[in-house]
Amino acid sequence: MADMVKLSVNGQEVEVESGKNLIDALGAVGIEIPHLCYHPALGADGNCRMCLVGIEDGRPPLVPACKTPAQEGMKVQLDTDKIKKIQRDIMELELINHPIDCPICDQAGECSLQDYYMQYDGQTSRMNVPQVLKGKKLDFGCGVIHDQERCVLCARCVRFTRQVTKTGELGIVNRTDAARVNIFPGRPLDNRYALNVVDLCPVGAMTSKDFRFKQRVWFLSKDKGICHGCSKGCNIFIDHNREKYKDDIIYRFRPRLNEQVNGYFICDEGRMTYKKENDGRITQAKANGDNCSNEKAVQSLKEALGHASKPAFLVSPNCSMEQIVAVKKLASQHSATVSGFSDGYIKPGDGDDFLIQDDKSANRAGLELLGIDLSKATFDALVEATDLLIVFDNDLSMSLDEAALSALAGKTKIAVVGAYDSPLVGQATFVYPVASYSEYSGTVVNADKVVQTFDTAVVKNDPLEDIVAVAGLLGGEISDNNQAWKEIKVSVEALKDVEPEMIPEQGLALTVDEGSDDAA
Amino acid sequence: MSDRSQLIETGKPFQFDTERDAEFERLVQRYPTRESMILPALWLTQEQEGWISAEAIAYIADRIGTFASKVYECATFYTMYNLQPKGKYHICVCRTLSCYLLGKQEIVDYLDTEIGIKPGEISADGKFSLEEVECLGHCGTAPVVQVNGEFHENMNVEKIKELLATLK
Repeated sequence: MADMVKLSVNGQEVEVESGKNLIDALGAVGIEIPHLCYHPALGADGNCRMCLVGIEDGRPPLVPACKTPAQEGMKVQLDTDKIKKIQRDIMELELINHPIDCPICDQAGECSLQDYYMQYDGQTSRMNVPQVLKGKKLDFGCGVIHDQERCVLCARCVRFTRQVTKTGELGIVNRTDAARVNIFPGRPLDNRYALNVVDLCPVGAMTSKDFRFKQRVWFLSKDKGICHGCSKGCNIFIDHNREKYKDDIIYRFRPRLNEQVNGYFICDEGRMTYKKENDGRITQAKANGDNCSNEKAVQSLKEALGHASKPAFLVSPNCSMEQIVAVKKLASQHSATVSGFSDGYIKPGDGDDFLIQDDKSANRAGLELLGIDLSKATFDALVEATDLLIVFDNDLSMSLDEAALSALAGKTKIAVVGAYDSPLVGQATFVYPVASYSEYSGTVVNADKVVQTFDTAVVKNDPLEDIVAVAGLLGGEISDNNQAWKEIKVSVEALKDVEPEMIPEQGLALTVDEGSDDAA
Repeated sequence: MSDRSQLIETGKPFQFDTERDAEFERLVQRYPTRESMILPALWLTQEQEGWISAEAIAYIADRIGTFASKVYECATFYTMYNLQPKGKYHICVCRTLSCYLLGKQEIVDYLDTEIGIKPGEISADGKFSLEEVECLGHCGTAPVVQVNGEFHENMNVEKIKELLATLK
């Protein structure tokens, strides 16, 4: 815990963390100081002047809060007439050339300029000269669309490309009222984190090609989740909405701050994995090769499992801890082995030293903790002996080529209990659609051995079962997460005293690791 | 202030000639970081070509080892960098106080009637271009006119007529 200092704000005493700047320090205790250019991941730039505050200690009349560390005994003034006037004046200047296109702007509802206008400005325009016109809907690459007229020149996006991705595609060109953000001709955004500039932009100048005009943000439910795009386990917001007469659909993923895991950002590929949650899902259950209802499918699969002389189980490295122990329990009831073979999920060399990992699965470390054998040799031996292979959400087509897949289907009956469609589903005798990670709650362990839990975000009109429940339906002794945790505590030494509710928001680091990235 | 962000592409690769190349290498020793060379390198380019193209900016960025966006920022911020081709003779007339009071407008008007170009324009034959610039630091001998960087002081219509006659 950092040192605390006492200071007064508008005459009221508050206790805040020392060393932090006033925006962060006071923000942590719920006192808001308006700011456009400051962002904790990018540092203070001091260009917007929206955060000017008074300090009664003989300093120059006003100082920017973003560059002023909180100190003991400081007397901070946030609401003098002079400060209010400055805030109004800055807003007036920002809005001189700002198009009032909020009704068609994607940022409306989460726009600093809009909020601050209501809070600190609220005056009608005094401008009677034509506005400066600039570029609209410029395609900056990587799915980022820029509107130069909406921009307030806070330079967050420019600083992001220079300080964080170190690719520097963006710059502010020209000067005075002709100044604008631009790319150098022929050198568009070209980095795997580019869409973070859309989140960083305090106004609607940077929009995502993928999301723009899809939804008004105030209709979106913003639920917490963990990205399953790779083994980093970045914290995300799952923004979804059920429109009238339609199903609950995810419209975007946004990064959620977790200093222990991903900091303020996520990669673009991970951001786009929301599409997998909406489309390409398994929708049709199958029993003995024929389409049927879900109930029938699970019943016939249970019977088939009962008759199988040597069933085998394959789990996915994306399965939650709970799902794996449930399947493991079911397997042990049938004296069968569980494999976690999923070599195809690893793309060697694809990762970087920031967030992206080679391993495109969320819980491989969890599989290892639970002692699941990941080797191809074990899987091959298993397949050789089995007459029924039950695959839990593992996309074997990523690890095996088409010929090997067909050979496998020729050798044994395959049952797919999964969420996502894949070539394997076509080869399967039994198919049972289940919930995907945005629709169930569970626990995963990321590449840095940080244990993180997540809750159900999306509830479909016809909710599908989680693999844990399916294991129960197939006769397994574990059929819900509570039972699963008891088993996890027994199987995993490091988690023997841990209850799910004890896992903090930031995740539980199992090792004092050096691998976790700092918060950018 | 006008928009200077539309760069012109020549379609040809740019590089420093031998002399500027040597000068670049000499200057780069002076500074603590290579990025400090952005402004001098832009000057060298303008000296060599008379103006700065998109290719030249990309060349400078790569030569220095910095982002093209940074060089682009500098080139568009400072109005004395020409981002468009200039005439064979680029005439700069000072428009700041002393020169203004002592008759720069008569000179500009004369050039308009004589060559047919206004400030910011280039003559059809590409021979002359005209620009009004801020203080050139020769207020004591105002009004001043610069032709391709060379100063001509205490100017008036008579003297600009003589000067034009020498520019072939």
